[in-house]
Amino acid sequence: MKNVILRNIENPSSHRIEEYIKAGGYFAIEHALNEMTPRDIIDDIKKSGLRGRGGAGFLTGTKWQFASLDPKFPKYIVCNADEGEPGTFKDRVILERNPHQLIEGMVIAAYALQSVRGYIYVRAEYPQAEKILNEAIKEAYEKGFLGNDIMSKHFRFHLSVHRGAGAYICGEETALINSLEGRRGEPRIKPPFPVNAGAWAKPTIVNNVETFANIPYIIETSPKAYSFLGTKDSPGTKLFCVSGAVNNPGVYELAFGTPLREIIYDHCGGIRGGRALKGVIPGGLSTSILTPDKIDCPMDFASLAKHGSMLGSGAIIVLDDTMCIVKIYERAMRFFEHESCGKCTPCREGTGWMRTILGRIEDGMADMEDLATLEDVALNVAGKTFCPLGDGAAHVLLSAMKHYRGEFEYHVKYKKCEVTDPSHRWGHLSMGELD
Amino acid sequence: MVKLTINGQEVEAGRDSSILDAAKSVGIIIPTLCHLKGLEPYGGCRMCLVEIERVSRLQTACTTKVNEGMAVFTETEQINKARRAMLEFLLINHPLDCPVCDKAGECLLQDYAARFGGSEGRFAEGKRTHPENVNDPFIVRNMQRCILCARCTRMCGEAQGAYAIAVTGRGAHSFVEPFSGDKYNCEYCGNCLTVCPVGAIMSRLHRHSYRPWYVEKEVETVCGFCGVGCTTHLQMRAATIIRTLPKLGTGVNKGLLCVRGRFGYDYVESEGRLKTPMIRVNGVLEPASWEKALAYITTHLKDIKLKHTSKAIGALASGMCSNEDNYMLQKLIRFVIGSNNIDSTARLYYAPAKAYIEKIFGAAATANAISDIEKSDGIFVAGGDPTAINPVLGVQIRAAWRRGAKVVVSGQPGGLGNFINYDLNSVPRHEETVLNTIVIGLAEMKGYSGKNSYIETKIKALRVPCEPELRATGVLLENMEEAVDDLSGLKNPVVVIGPALLQSGIPSKNLFLVAAIAYLIDARVYLLSRKANYRGLIDMGCVPESIPGGLPVRPGQLRLKNGVAMSVPSEKGMNLFEMIEGACNGSLKALYVMGENPIFNLPDREKTEKAMSSLDLLVVQDIFMTETARHAHVVLPAAAWSEKDGTMTNLGGRIQFLRKGSDVPTGRSEWRVIAEIARALGMSETYADSKEVWEEMTQVSVLHSASEYEDIKKGGLMWPYGSVQFQGGAEDFGVEGLEILPAVHHHSSQCSTEPCKLSLLPERSLFHSGSTTRKSKAILSVSPEPYLAINPIEAGRLGLRNDDTVRVKTAKGSAVVTVKIVIDCPEGTVMLSNTFEKVNFNALTGYSVDPVLGCMVLTDNEVNIEKL
Repeated sequence: MKNVILRNIENPSSHRIEEYIKAGGYFAIEHALNEMTPRDIIDDIKKSGLRGRGGAGFLTGTKWQFASLDPKFPKYIVCNADEGEPGTFKDRVILERNPHQLIEGMVIAAYALQSVRGYIYVRAEYPQAEKILNEAIKEAYEKGFLGNDIMSKHFRFHLSVHRGAGAYICGEETALINSLEGRRGEPRIKPPFPVNAGAWAKPTIVNNVETFANIPYIIETSPKAYSFLGTKDSPGTKLFCVSGAVNNPGVYELAFGTPLREIIYDHCGGIRGGRALKGVIPGGLSTSILTPDKIDCPMDFASLAKHGSMLGSGAIIVLDDTMCIVKIYERAMRFFEHESCGKCTPCREGTGWMRTILGRIEDGMADMEDLATLEDVALNVAGKTFCPLGDGAAHVLLSAMKHYRGEFEYHVKYKKCEVTDPSHRWGHLSMGELD
Repeated sequence: MVKLTINGQEVEAGRDSSILDAAKSVGIIIPTLCHLKGLEPYGGCRMCLVEIERVSRLQTACTTKVNEGMAVFTETEQINKARRAMLEFLLINHPLDCPVCDKAGECLLQDYAARFGGSEGRFAEGKRTHPENVNDPFIVRNMQRCILCARCTRMCGEAQGAYAIAVTGRGAHSFVEPFSGDKYNCEYCGNCLTVCPVGAIMSRLHRHSYRPWYVEKEVETVCGFCGVGCTTHLQMRAATIIRTLPKLGTGVNKGLLCVRGRFGYDYVESEGRLKTPMIRVNGVLEPASWEKALAYITTHLKDIKLKHTSKAIGALASGMCSNEDNYMLQKLIRFVIGSNNIDSTARLYYAPAKAYIEKIFGAAATANAISDIEKSDGIFVAGGDPTAINPVLGVQIRAAWRRGAKVVVSGQPGGLGNFINYDLNSVPRHEETVLNTIVIGLAEMKGYSGKNSYIETKIKALRVPCEPELRATGVLLENMEEAVDDLSGLKNPVVVIGPALLQSGIPSKNLFLVAAIAYLIDARVYLLSRKANYRGLIDMGCVPESIPGGLPVRPGQLRLKNGVAMSVPSEKGMNLFEMIEGACNGSLKALYVMGENPIFNLPDREKTEKAMSSLDLLVVQDIFMTETARHAHVVLPAAAWSEKDGTMTNLGGRIQFLRKGSDVPTGRSEWRVIAEIARALGMSETYADSKEVWEEMTQVSVLHSASEYEDIKKGGLMWPYGSVQFQGGAEDFGVEGLEILPAVHHHSSQCSTEPCKLSLLPERSLFHSGSTTRKSKAILSVSPEPYLAINPIEAGRLGLRNDDTVRVKTAKGSAVVTVKIVIDCPEGTVMLSNTFEKVNFNALTGYSVDPVLGCMVLTDNEVNIEKL
């Protein structure tokens, strides 16, 4: 299959502008500026069926159209490179290995929206990516792909990197905008949506790194060619970053709809040590866990939703039978508690409460009543939070408790872990490396 | 309008209203914690979750807008469970220390927990802890109790514009902290206290000494500290003010207060309050009975009138007293004794400025609702920092700026610093050139409307400043030009004038130039007023030139309804300065000073002291033994602001009720005492209460003749109080030095060779209003000491650092103070506030009287600063 996002990945200097141009890069800008109107671009993106790669899978063309229809100017183009979802490391590959494709995608977006200012919001934990991006931006300025007169077409667009300050919540687009503006990173009330009132209350599109990286391909080929890839509902390719108990963890660019089994057993070489699969978290920590029986699920937006989970960021975390589910979710909840911004009551208080109960279950200090309390607290958080952070935290716990109920009960009943218990069939095996 | 149903009930609501507002309009109460009317919706507490048909998730009523055909449910089992859940979440980390929490009894969380909460807790883990911070003199932070509704931070930023506090940290470890860290370093408006729904942000003033159910009486009154006239509520227990409390959304202040109004009230309970009348016997003031004191006054007044005629008797009215007090004093002097010698410290700036502006534009010019400032699209400020002089008015300017209004400031920006589009702060003495340039620019842009030929002729006579003159101002020409551009396009402009405009250069010229700006852009004019009732006392006739209602003094008779005639004396009255002069030269023999302290509040203290000690009779009616009272023959204890009923008129002309919280513990209301003296001197009227005084006043004053006492209750009476005939037209007016611009000195080259002369100017502090705040323990706890404010450049030149002790010396006197380096302080000047007993600004300077305006101009204020 053809690489759309990671083309030229074999070239160790793929991040340099010369290499990118040599491989056909920046052709899409030329094509767009010479032959297309901003409206044509938006129409093409809509026709391609491109869906946002940040997690929600919103139609990119529709988002751009909303922003372009808003009469307010200036408009802002923001790239969300705050790749914070645990298990996710796909954007990093683009940022470090193929930054010009991102820049090219952003310039095309800017032209489509007649925007003059863009920002790449990079998480603070990616200093190397930030450095490479800054160099790439400098190169693009030198070559005239950014600046006051891009490719002598009287089109002006400036781009800079904004470093985040280490908050997971700033991956949420409105919190990201708050942070970009210099405010506390907290999500904003929607509506108004960023497409109408984003950065400095002006129309703003916030797209994921991977989403922007798809744009040049769509422009230089055709929307039709793009929609041939993947499935009808989820066209194109997707970067899957696979981690956990597989032989070959890493980032894989595969067509949408590739079955989970194929990813784990063919591309990633199967479960480490030939052990049994315990479950798969298919789209980053805040997506619900899939049990081994769902391993044939095709990896696209619709199929995962059907199986009660989400594609999310495409971060596949594979769990084998040596891993304790209580421990995993205690650790996950510690993350959500730490990253809760504190704005809304249920997330701020609920994540901490759930974490402490999980901790007691893990430590063998809990009884059945605690298990009931834990479930009720999760239900009280679910669906009542301001943004998806707390909601996700509650939902993933609820699904784990539903599918692995026995393990939770074993912890409570025997004050020890089923998988690490020496008297148990899996007892001799060590814990997974998740902690 | 949109139609929807809430709990099956049909509701009509505006397209933009939230479900919460729509529900409220039909009496359906949805509990909220973070929501606060007037602030942007927040959606944080999740208490107001409601069910909406065909929407899978619960939605917050405060952030969700109504839709046509929407069906909302607020009392389902799912909602009740959600509310119970939210309260449980809020309580797991809440210390549940209600028995020792001052908020208990008026705590929203407590109320909701009782009403909607569960009966027992399931939380078995340890609670989050955070130490209580009691290091601040006013505000105690107990962040364990905080529910992170962010009302305080939003109030601080969105409403007050102070941005002094923020949520720090994240998750359950988020706490509200001032940026300054430990103590607050803010304006201490205390508006965060008003809005905190729990006991997280509390006032230290009544800490552990107060419970909501201790309140025996709550009275709505008007704050007595400045001319804004903020509505505030006094919560009383016995004769003690437990606290002052604004009500959000009410009054000209819409529920905001400033540091003085919120924390400064404790002066009324100061130990220094006068307790009994005193008569000077053998040179010493000795306690006496009221009968004796009043008999002393009347005998002496009669004597002096007999010997020296009534023109030897005068009085000073008070901007801190009510309209009724001032009316009665005016009646005593003018109608009973028969002298026009009545004035007040409003003469220093407010009265002449008001008279001048009204001469140019007519009497309506300075009467404007303060709340309109917020709606303005552009504000020109000259002559002082409104956020310090009239803080809540200043806050309105900030609010207007945040809504996009253009703010242009000539002079020190002070608390407006972050809310300015054009900062035209010029080098001292060159403000005139800046104003001149703006007037000429506006005249070119806008042209002349021909409405007022007097002012237009004078504008045309202005000279265009030349290049060096413009350069000398230190303000960029393009900055002035852009300001002119923006000012000329305003639809609803406002001009705010402060006292500093009249204190340097040529006062009439400065005031004329600002008036010309107001004329050219057709702005409403606001005159800042340091004292609460300067406008009222002028309306009550406490100026030598006009009688109550503002008509000029013309010999004749005024007839009351009951047939009693009162004669207006024909002799021209003496104003404040003339009375001081008169006392010195022997033409004034008796002075009745009500609620004023001329020795402290007038420049050239030596002269004022001499004047006061030359009098045959000095009566001082005050709540404290002031510097002036020490020279008195008779001292009468008066009622403080919280101890009297009456009315006050704010700087915009709104008349509001002053209501007493308690009776005067030791003194008597000013007007009652004055009425008694007047009766002893032949007045026949008697008054049961202040309402009767008001009603008599309305028979005398043309301005108030159509007003109804009852109408004041409905949020105040606005100028012109129902009378239509009282508009007044424009007249010609004088201006000095129309074509003269300040000379250009080569300032810097001079300074390098010899030490530069600095001028001493008054600092108008946010924390102090003068004689009352210096008796407030609370205010003294944040601003305890006088200091000399000096610009960093000047400080560098003199080798001064913060907290150095210096001797400040002028031709009139010297004082020892500590130094505070203030960036805002203009070069070439040092500033000292006139609020502390031990360092009296006015003992250091002299004054002259401006020939055109009749206002005070500071003189002898060149200082030498010597480091000790």
